[in-house]
Amino acid sequence: MNHTSIEKRARLLANLAQQAKSGAAKPAALDITVIRHFPVREPVSGNRYSLLRITTRSGLIGWGECHYDPNADIKALESTWIGRPANAYATIPPSTPFRAALDMASLDVLGKAANAPVYRILGGPTRSKVRAYSSPQRGDFPVSVIDVPTPIWRNQGKAYQNRILELANAVPADHDFVLAANGFLTPGDAASVATTIESKHPLWFDEPCPHSNIDALRKVAGESVVPLAFGAGIDDPAVFQALLREGLIDLVRPEIGIFGINGTRRIAALAEPYYVAVAPRHNGGPVMTAAAIHIAASIPNFFIQHVPQPKAEEDRGMRREVVSPTLETSNGGFLEVTKSPGLGITVNESALEKYHAS
Amino acid sequence: MRRRNFLAMGSAGLLTARTRNSARLPIEACGCSFLRQAAPVGLQAFADINSGLKITGVKVFGVSLTPKSDRPYVFVKLETNQGLIGWGEGTLEGKASAVMACINDFQDFLIGADPMQVEHIWQSMYIHSFYRAGPVIGSAISGIDQALWDLRGKALGMPVYKLLGGPFDPRGVRGYYHVDGAGRERLAQIRETAQQQGITCVKGGIPGYYEWLERKPKIDRAIKAIQLLRETLGPDIDIAVDFHAKTSPSVASVIVKEVEPLNLLFVEEPCPPENVQAMAKIARRSTTPIATGERLIASFGCRELIEMGVVDILQTDINHVGGITALWKVAATANVSSISMAPHACEGPIGGLATVHVDASMPNFLVQEICGQVTPNATDKVWQEWLGFPAMRMVDGRFPLSDKPGLGFELSEESLAKYPFGGTRPMARVFHDDGSVAEW
Repeated sequence: MNHTSIEKRARLLANLAQQAKSGAAKPAALDITVIRHFPVREPVSGNRYSLLRITTRSGLIGWGECHYDPNADIKALESTWIGRPANAYATIPPSTPFRAALDMASLDVLGKAANAPVYRILGGPTRSKVRAYSSPQRGDFPVSVIDVPTPIWRNQGKAYQNRILELANAVPADHDFVLAANGFLTPGDAASVATTIESKHPLWFDEPCPHSNIDALRKVAGESVVPLAFGAGIDDPAVFQALLREGLIDLVRPEIGIFGINGTRRIAALAEPYYVAVAPRHNGGPVMTAAAIHIAASIPNFFIQHVPQPKAEEDRGMRREVVSPTLETSNGGFLEVTKSPGLGITVNESALEKYHAS
Repeated sequence: MRRRNFLAMGSAGLLTARTRNSARLPIEACGCSFLRQAAPVGLQAFADINSGLKITGVKVFGVSLTPKSDRPYVFVKLETNQGLIGWGEGTLEGKASAVMACINDFQDFLIGADPMQVEHIWQSMYIHSFYRAGPVIGSAISGIDQALWDLRGKALGMPVYKLLGGPFDPRGVRGYYHVDGAGRERLAQIRETAQQQGITCVKGGIPGYYEWLERKPKIDRAIKAIQLLRETLGPDIDIAVDFHAKTSPSVASVIVKEVEPLNLLFVEEPCPPENVQAMAKIARRSTTPIATGERLIASFGCRELIEMGVVDILQTDINHVGGITALWKVAATANVSSISMAPHACEGPIGGLATVHVDASMPNFLVQEICGQVTPNATDKVWQEWLGFPAMRMVDGRFPLSDKPGLGFELSEESLAKYPFGGTRPMARVFHDDGSVAEW
């Protein structure tokens, strides 16, 4: 950005700031009166997430979930949002603590107030079922996730490529697969793996190397036709824009736990004119699965949803105990689109005490 | 409806023809024309999760305020099995009949469909139109989309801006009126009225028509016209200036440079819209914010301008871009490039009101246009007569937000009947002194 445009933007921002000053609103039925935070923890995996409950003046209750952050300031959230209307979910600034959870809880309330599922509030349904997969693979989700083996030294040779090829060949014939590198390969290795694997037609290559090095991505995208996906840890939509602009991404994977429903939908809108699909990232709890279903059923460019399915039965039991009905059951590789108002779930508060993450 | 039946018969006809003479092919056998059409908008797939509402009627109204109007309003009314109705606007200046016909072409997409599925219907209208959207298809989709949102809001009992997550400011959205052609004295009056009414922004234009390079007197006249606005309106009112794509990038850059000290809110459409690089050339050489985008259709049509991030403001028009659905997407996408939104509104009252709902949910909203004047005129009177309130008139410098569901108004077919469709009339056709075509 050159000096001129910085000045220009400063002037525009001054105008915006003037407009953003809100006037005093009359008390309304959907004003938030109580906000409560429930940090929870899966007993075996130790995976933690934050649930948020909001209550409105009219007595409606909304639930949301976001990434667990021990430093998130619930007092700051309360001081800004108590007294504000739950319908104003678009006005939640990105810097708000518990942003994603507040966004979901607000939409849950809005849906209940209108007696409609959240996807209907948002203009859906755009589809009648939600393609999904889990890792580790469970149920009848016909997608395997292959985690690339941890490299033993920085630059891997042919043997490494062959190991990955073996893993790909071991995928059941009726399964698709995703190759996941969690961003730890070097650009050279990422490109080699991508080229080795491309004729196996994986659904996509997940986080081949860190997205922060755009030159590395140019190399990987330039050397192979394997669809590339990024999104882990990205908290600024402009990062997605930079990748989309250069054609370095084939699947955008915004974290629902960061962006919430509205933020994820806005990134889907950003990706749409690039003909790029969305598969939101979700490594949280069952409330987030509900949110994911409403995102999928309200955007046009949805592709697939990851559903966490912990290894331990105890953890899976905890998820079923916290949220009912469970929306995490696969039906032929798809999740069902709920017909109930709001997010379509009930949260069991006594279970939240039981699994409290202290 | 007729076309689908024809195609259904066509496939049956194909079978019979085959039994008689396997070498004979039907007339339309290009490979794409005999694909089976799903019943309205994939209806079967949604049988379990539909809302129970069904579209039963699509009515299109051409409304000419004066018999020779170049922009008869094109209004759409959707009717449903439960008596709920929705209104939208797809006015396309100079091409009213084309849009009206196009809306009727979409009957098959709508009759029997669930009006709550606005995104799904939008996608079907856009993608299944194959050639994607130019201004005619874009305006037709816009009218239908607004009517769907009006219906949705009424069915859900919420104003549209709340469904979209607003409002940012419960007092309403900041707006501006036009002051084109006003002389020194009139501008002084406008300044006074604006100050009394809390109006914070107005927009003027530049006089005459411009060749792609211009002589000094013409350039000086344009600069003087802009300077007059600042001199007479004073330092406290924001001033926007519409070049209306009358100028080439070369001429625009020269004028914009001279008016930099006036601190304009923005200069609008300093060149025509097709060439994004040309617009960028002007923007890169200007410290005055550059606004454009009223002629772009869908977020697809705005993508290049947004990703380059060189202009400051987009002026998306809800009656052409693809309605509320598309305006929301353009605004969301523009926000990633730190581009502000100042949506265009120079047609009828429905599109204007619909825009205000979307404005109220935009983090990057700047200011809302209305082609009205600081003092209400005859058009404002007609709008009030139709809708029962002073539509698109500001209170304390803002367009107020209504608490009523949908787009927040009632409109009767009878009230429109007083202004029958006068047919399509071309927009202004202007020429230079030598008879060559000029841009206005």
